[in-house]
Amino acid sequence: MAKQVPLEEGYLVIPEAEGERPRLLGSYSPEAKKYFFPRRMQCPLTETPVEDVELSSEGVLYSWTWVLMPFMGAAKMGDGKAHGVGQIDLPEGVRVQAVISGQMGDWEIGMPMGMVALPIKKKGDTEMCSFGFEPIRKGE
Amino acid sequence: MLEDVYVAGVGMHPFGKHGKSNKEMAYVAGKAALKDAGIKFRDVGALYNGYIMGDMTEGVAIAKDLGLTGVPVVHVENASATGSTAFREACLRVASGQADIAMALGFDDIVRMGQMMMQMYMAQGPRIESMVLPAAFFAMWAVRRTHEYGTSPEIYARIAAKNWNHARYNPMAQRQSDHEVTIEEVLASKPVAHPHTTMMACATGGGAACAIVTNKKWAKKLAAGRPLVRVLSSQLQSEQYVDGHIFMGAVVGPSELTRTTSQACYEEAGLGPKDVSLVHVHDAFPIEELMYYELMGFCGEGEGEKLVLEGATQIGGRIPFSTDGGLIARGHPGGPTGLAQVWDATQQLRGESGKRQVEGAHTAAVHMMGAGSVCVMHMLHRENA
Repeated sequence: MAKQVPLEEGYLVIPEAEGERPRLLGSYSPEAKKYFFPRRMQCPLTETPVEDVELSSEGVLYSWTWVLMPFMGAAKMGDGKAHGVGQIDLPEGVRVQAVISGQMGDWEIGMPMGMVALPIKKKGDTEMCSFGFEPIRKGE
Repeated sequence: MLEDVYVAGVGMHPFGKHGKSNKEMAYVAGKAALKDAGIKFRDVGALYNGYIMGDMTEGVAIAKDLGLTGVPVVHVENASATGSTAFREACLRVASGQADIAMALGFDDIVRMGQMMMQMYMAQGPRIESMVLPAAFFAMWAVRRTHEYGTSPEIYARIAAKNWNHARYNPMAQRQSDHEVTIEEVLASKPVAHPHTTMMACATGGGAACAIVTNKKWAKKLAAGRPLVRVLSSQLQSEQYVDGHIFMGAVVGPSELTRTTSQACYEEAGLGPKDVSLVHVHDAFPIEELMYYELMGFCGEGEGEKLVLEGATQIGGRIPFSTDGGLIARGHPGGPTGLAQVWDATQQLRGESGKRQVEGAHTAAVHMMGAGSVCVMHMLHRENA
């Protein structure tokens, strides 16, 4: 399996151990007792310092859609024709938006979702990755 | 506001995929507004140009075509709410007493803008903080709405068809159907992002729109027997934190932003939703219009579908929305969009809208969202000269 590294620093960590899910890097405000993603310069509620934290790698699907376009920014998604996008609520109270794996009809609001590394481009043998989510089926 | 502010003149260049330059479109809209107001460019005390993507200082260059008068020129940008923000700045300039007359001039071509942005994205390379497509972002609002209230795609199609049919009577609209658009046609058009289809998505092209505002003394001088159109309130808000706040990749912030901005706008105007005759909103997709019925207080939570089924939001209904076709059919070039809303609202309040006239229109609520995000809202009101 190709080595996977984050496309950009400061957004996610990708464990080397196989089977472990990547995690997003966020901020925690001790003053507001709130978590944020991506990392904040300071707490947007209290204007006090925040701490770097790793967020949970599993959450719940809040909403989704099936997009009949291949692009998200400059990155080509899915099979080059269409891709899924979802909003996922993490247990820390953070909602994130990301590409979701699967096809139209695969998703239901409220279903558990797990984070995956999403290869965007290759640099030699290394895959430069953003993040996405996949449905967690019962028994997985 | 300090001084009372009035709309003295409005003008537009038709929206569409005609490939005209910003310079040409802005000139046509600016001259039309000057003619409507009955003034010369030399009478304008401040110019706010609204465009999202153009050449550096393009607004100043365009002012040169209108006249070398030494007028202060400022470039305003707030994504889709650019024109609305330029209008607000012009109103505030007059309200402050710094100018008797100010002009807000918006122009853009969103097709050209898309090409420029794609080149920029490709030059930068892929980034983690990519914005999802607006069609996808608002589609997720629609999917969630269906989950919570059982909203069917037919409701979204009804809203889109209504706006297409309103645009049939607007000569400035991009989408000019030669027949009554049906719900079935909208549903059968090509899918974009579930449940959205191409006929539900806002029309993208180029265009320009202009509004000239003034104080009461000048408004009365320029009225020429027409009713006055007063700007009762002007509000602009950016995001406030809500649970589930999306910081990355969102097109606009929480929908609550519309609720808080409209509440502030009603309060400043001393009016409520029951006092409003017609409404313009950021209907880039029908789910937005549906949610704004509720967020702006025109019906209760979860009652938007009922308004649609009753036909309350079409011309002739209790509270007509998007009377010029809205973003869906009049079009959404970017910079001029909010000013096109002011163009229609002003004509409606003067009773000059012909076949799309809202009978007895006296107060118009004009709302826009801008990516980033901001919400801008104005309340316009008819007064006898």
